[in-house]
Amino acid sequence: MSEIAHQDHIEKKAFLVNSSSLKDVRVFCREVFEKLHIQEDLKDELVLAIAEAAQNIVKHAFKNSASPTELMVVQISCENNKLQIAFYDRGTPVDPKKVKHREIDNVKPGGLGTFFIQEIMDAVEFKDGKKPWINHLVLTKQL
Amino acid sequence: MTYKVEELDNVSIVHLNGEVDMDVADKARQTILPLIEIGKNVQVNLSKVDYMDSSGISVLIEGKQLAEKKSTKFELIEVSKPVEKVLSMARKFL
Repeated sequence: MSEIAHQDHIEKKAFLVNSSSLKDVRVFCREVFEKLHIQEDLKDELVLAIAEAAQNIVKHAFKNSASPTELMVVQISCENNKLQIAFYDRGTPVDPKKVKHREIDNVKPGGLGTFFIQEIMDAVEFKDGKKPWINHLVLTKQL
Repeated sequence: MTYKVEELDNVSIVHLNGEVDMDVADKARQTILPLIEIGKNVQVNLSKVDYMDSSGISVLIEGKQLAEKKSTKFELIEVSKPVEKVLSMARKFL
């Protein structure tokens, strides 16, 4: 846990649902984390977790075939040193029970992204998406 | 991401440069795997990779597994700090 008091802040941005947007998601996150004065090592980890979650939306919720105008929204908020990152999308509804990384002895590519998210964040929660959204994922981390 | 392949005796050194994410993982895959497929020993130089996500790590795992199958050598060299950090997290998983 950080000893720095991070100022309360909220910011969100919409991105097209495609793999080319992942770089933009990372740039957005880095800019917000700069404003929050989050230390470099933690910032890199958080950016990775967020980019992996966005990647899961592109790859799994839309199976790499979202319409060219389809959007996902990433919202980063910090309140009382608790960082919350929310994702909203209109892809296939996610069944939280099916979202898990591979077993440790099953060495195959894939499933790593979910593992990274769970390693880095304190909590990963799927909430009911309110219209027009279908999926609403919330990642939290105490700073 | 950009890349360059350098041939040195029977070793192909693949120099990756930039960010290796889902958007470019196929490009990395299509550069590395065919070299292993034809029996080359492959070294992947990661000194200029400043970001790698799970898609990039997956390409490295595929390379390692294909090299074992083909009985060739597959090595990562000059691993940059950001990649080393992601690899160390992945090792807990692997």
